[in-house]
Amino acid sequence: MKVGKRIPWILVLLFSFPVLAVGYGHARETEVSDVSRKCLQCHGKQGIVKTFLNEETVEAYVNPEKIRTSVHNFLTCSECHSGFSEGKHPSGKYKSKFQFRLRSSSICRRCHSADRIKAKPVHATLLKKEKMGESPICTNCHDAHSVSAASGGKVFSNEKQYCQKCHQHELSMNFRDGGKMSLKVDPAILESSAHGKLRCSDCHYGYSSEEHPEKNFRSRRDYVIASSESCRRCHFDNYTKTLDSVHYDLLKQGNLKAPVCNDCHGSHQISHITHGVKGGLITTQRCKKCHPMIYEMYAKSVHGNALINEQNQDVPICIDCHTAHDIQNPMTLAYHEKIPQMCGNCHANPAVVGKYGLSTDVVKTYLSDFHGVTLGFYKKQREELYKPARPIAVCNDCHGTHNIVSTVSAGPTSVKKNLVRRCQKCHKDATEEFPNAWLFHYKPSFSKFPMIFVVNSIYRIFIPIMWAGFVLQILLHIWRYAVNR
Amino acid sequence: MNRESRGKGGKIRRFSTFRIVEHWGIILTTMILFATGLCQRFWHLELSQWFILKLGGIDNVRLIHRYTGILFSLELLMNTSVGMMGVIRGKWQPSIFISKKDYEDAIHNIKYYFGFENHPAKCDRYDYMEKFEYWTILIGGILMIMTGVILWFPTLVTRILPGEFIPAAKALHSNEAMLIFLLNAVWHIYNAIFSPEVFPLDTSIFTGYISRERMIREHPLELARMEGVTPEELEKDNPGKIRDLKVEAAAR
Repeated sequence: MKVGKRIPWILVLLFSFPVLAVGYGHARETEVSDVSRKCLQCHGKQGIVKTFLNEETVEAYVNPEKIRTSVHNFLTCSECHSGFSEGKHPSGKYKSKFQFRLRSSSICRRCHSADRIKAKPVHATLLKKEKMGESPICTNCHDAHSVSAASGGKVFSNEKQYCQKCHQHELSMNFRDGGKMSLKVDPAILESSAHGKLRCSDCHYGYSSEEHPEKNFRSRRDYVIASSESCRRCHFDNYTKTLDSVHYDLLKQGNLKAPVCNDCHGSHQISHITHGVKGGLITTQRCKKCHPMIYEMYAKSVHGNALINEQNQDVPICIDCHTAHDIQNPMTLAYHEKIPQMCGNCHANPAVVGKYGLSTDVVKTYLSDFHGVTLGFYKKQREELYKPARPIAVCNDCHGTHNIVSTVSAGPTSVKKNLVRRCQKCHKDATEEFPNAWLFHYKPSFSKFPMIFVVNSIYRIFIPIMWAGFVLQILLHIWRYAVNR
Repeated sequence: MNRESRGKGGKIRRFSTFRIVEHWGIILTTMILFATGLCQRFWHLELSQWFILKLGGIDNVRLIHRYTGILFSLELLMNTSVGMMGVIRGKWQPSIFISKKDYEDAIHNIKYYFGFENHPAKCDRYDYMEKFEYWTILIGGILMIMTGVILWFPTLVTRILPGEFIPAAKALHSNEAMLIFLLNAVWHIYNAIFSPEVFPLDTSIFTGYISRERMIREHPLELARMEGVTPEELEKDNPGKIRDLKVEAAAR
């Protein structure tokens, strides 16, 4: 076909363009022009590949169906691909695919001028970047041949699909401090996350097909902290708990390293809650990110070792003692006083420790002894009399905190040696013999601590006998008196 | 003894002012010791917790208990030393020591209660029940002081004694306290208040005087000695008055 014969057709099309553009504002099925049909004779078949100088390739296949339904279906191929016509088919030389796409974007801008597209906030952001030398590539978001209306929700079945249109590409966000963050969201990860069924705007509120406000954050960290506020909308209880946590206290003091929701839970890849050993391992790993030294200690302890090496799900993980959201400062007296109760959650529960041959009396024997009673009163005094209290030895003072070892495997000598050192913290002049004043959680029996057992037994027999004797004597006396009268 | 027993309108002096003050001292110190001690032993009771918090906390309670313990020790020391000095100097008879007669009196009274004797045991200055009470409190008091000191200074004690002595002392201290408390709460309160023979209150330890009537009934041997007569002569002079409840009741 000769080009000359087709010129009047092209001219007609060009002149009628403004009229057609209004009429075809929305995708409407129509027949492609004869010119385009000619191009599609080759490009409508799969297998045509364009190779760039850097060996990158792009498929030159154009789906005829898509072009028929696209908003540009009234255009002929050569209106965008200028220089191409029935008779001319120049072989463009591009360094790379990127260069090709960049060049293609300039074609769009011939009609879609900066002034026209900047009304959309997302375009405004891109145009700003363009000024800074970072040219946007239209086809990153808008398909080349099947370009469809991006607004109105008429084409996209849901919002996620709409957002994905752009955010499946390597977009990035710039921060004032020069930092950058990728805005690419992997749909597969999002789909498999616990939030797979949510809409994008459920978390990114203020964003929709109509609005795309431009945000200007100082740094990536600022953005992460600000975005964690989104969680509050659904997870209000846990969000409120975090406001009482030591992490939030740090944040308030200006420490931006303090963790917020998405530091532990992630953002688009938020997983479902995992229970059991797997969940325990995941959680401890999360805490490890900021507390590696403590994790190392824990991993070597009787608890950590059982979790990691024996896949034991009875042992406590970080959040069992520290809780997950309202994590308290463990250095406070209030926290210290709660320790026997924390240990007691497992060690006084026969269902948990029974199978390991551990005594469930450990908490009871502690709480009824001198230190336990004093601790109980100090707690009450603090709460009711606002009286400052001294720290009293609790479980971890003798057994260790994150580095707890089995008292069985450590052996009595090493336990006692540690104990003397601990006793001396409060009882300055304590000797080697002093820890023996403590019954090591045993109840006195004839074989264990016989002296105490004997004393208790004597009184247990003697007091009732004496008491019975008194009462008998009194009753006899009254009886005699009454009889005599 | 003669100085104390001089009559005053049919009343006989039984206790000197020193003993009256001493008894008040013992009442006060033991009441404080029981209150501050029992609330520690029964710490889990609501009442104990309320009381401890009212006193300003467990440290205050322990402090009050220990210092009152010192007072009690001084009273105990004074009681025994004054008593012993009086006996050594020949001023008083060692009337508080337990003798063979006390066992005989106890058996005699049990027989009397069951109707095998027609009058109760004739006692001297202190009857067997008073002696039992005194010695239980004295020996108990000494045990309490000793174990109390061990509990007050555990680090010092473990320099000399094995560690097990500390919890053993604690067991002894609280058990012995219960024993003395029950003795006082049941036995002493009955004898001094609720016994039909003294109800509503035996005032002799507060006023120092006891009626001659009661002396004839309760301490005939002492009265006979005081008046320089034999018990038989005393009984003859006061027919039916020597603690014979049956005779007494018949006379009313």
